Amino acid sequence: MPGLGRRIAVAATLAVGLAVAASVVPAPGSPLVASCAGAGPNHAALVVEHGSGSVVTRCVAFDAASVTGEQLLDSSGVAWSGQTFGGFGEAVCAMDEEPAQYVSCPGKDGYWAVFVATGGGEWQLSPVGISSLKLGDGDAEGFRYVPVSGDTAPPQPAAGVCGGAAASSPARAGAAAPTASTPQSPAQSGGIDAAMLAAALAAVVLAGLAVVRLSAARRRAP
Amino acid sequence: MTAVLRSDEFGLAPRTWLIWSLAAMTVALSTANPVYRGLVALAALDVLLTWLPPERRLKSLALALLFAAGFAALVNVLASHAGVHVLARLPVDWPVVGGNFTAETLAYGGAVGLGLVAALLAVAPLSLVLEPHDVVDAVPGPLDRTGIALATSLNLVSGFGRTFNAVRDAQRMRGWRPRGIRSWNEVLVPVVLTSIEDSVLLAEAMEARGFGGGRRTSYAAPGWSRWDVAVVAVTLAAAALFVSLRVAGAAIDWYPYPALSVPPLNPILVASCLALALPALARSRAAGDGR
Repeated sequence: MPGLGRRIAVAATLAVGLAVAASVVPAPGSPLVASCAGAGPNHAALVVEHGSGSVVTRCVAFDAASVTGEQLLDSSGVAWSGQTFGGFGEAVCAMDEEPAQYVSCPGKDGYWAVFVATGGGEWQLSPVGISSLKLGDGDAEGFRYVPVSGDTAPPQPAAGVCGGAAASSPARAGAAAPTASTPQSPAQSGGIDAAMLAAALAAVVLAGLAVVRLSAARRRAP
Repeated sequence: MTAVLRSDEFGLAPRTWLIWSLAAMTVALSTANPVYRGLVALAALDVLLTWLPPERRLKSLALALLFAAGFAALVNVLASHAGVHVLARLPVDWPVVGGNFTAETLAYGGAVGLGLVAALLAVAPLSLVLEPHDVVDAVPGPLDRTGIALATSLNLVSGFGRTFNAVRDAQRMRGWRPRGIRSWNEVLVPVVLTSIEDSVLLAEAMEARGFGGGRRTSYAAPGWSRWDVAVVAVTLAAAALFVSLRVAGAAIDWYPYPALSVPPLNPILVASCLALALPALARSRAAGDGR
């Protein structure tokens, strides 16, 4: 099929170019975080919401450009225990004495859902464990103890935890808890849409090539 | 004196195929992210369809892929009951399968199945595009004997299938009909005995042809073209990127528990998966040049 190679090469080059371009899409600018407790130029908020509704918040300062969710939790002073799940990373099994004891992780009745808010954005359900979660200046890490069935509602907003302008989440309407917005990768926030677009484009190009090859093979068949 | 075949005249060099297969399989198995696995599977399918000889058929491979993916998803849904989005429920006192069937277990089982599909498609060219002696040529010199054993093993698998069909047809002509599991003894026993006999004959034939008497020689040694160099460099870089990120602890996996979420994506890794389709472009380029 004359010219096919050139067309495919152009399409592939476009896809690769788009993918590379997506990798340099800047993340949303971090908000200015006013006076936050602790020492260090960077700050991140921690919000822990128990099943009873009581909330524990911390502001953690750090020197590095980013810390993992596990490091943030360790630095916060909130007691916790976890378990490693292969490629997922570390999961929180118990925190701040909830549950007081557990025999399986996640528990049969409830578990600690992990959220992240990047650059003052909304809470997003984390697709990775806290050991794989990267947090930078102005980000927030959230936990909420939720039942095993039903919607995974996010914790209270992190705004104000680090002095006012930190992460926010949709305001709660009356007594109804808000549902989590479409989960995204916090580590890729800002680049994920382009990355997903590049992946979809790559899949279309590859699937198209497969269809072309199959059609050609069928025409050649006796 | 050994003649040198340039691979741009006869396709990619066998060693290039071996490296590409290993690299693609490494990428597919180094991540649990279904997006990356799906892209690797599509890239491998493109490469396979591009280089598949006209006389070869993909029906048995397609059935194997369907079975592997379906089985993985089914086992995960039946045996694992984690996740918050319940699709169905069986009494919890039922052994193994009792409990919730969730969207999360279905998604994770699908991702596992996709990994199997990608890995199988990555190694498929070794049996469907290359000849057994090409596989032997692809193995480095010190592993020459291993290569021969590998090629022989691959050959015996298809030989076992042919023997099975022949014995089953012969038994049917004698009036045999399948009646339960025990009736298959009348087919399986002759198949096993015939396979052992074939193996002994093969071993004698290999001894008669000098197996074990020194390095294997060939009239024509495959050469390397710029496409071979490009394919090897690009695919090794893609595999190295995935492995290094895995070792560094970067988030390249996806885990749907306790609640489904969108897989995290890195555009560079997406491009790496796409680069595995380079051998398909090599063939298109050759066709465009009139070769």
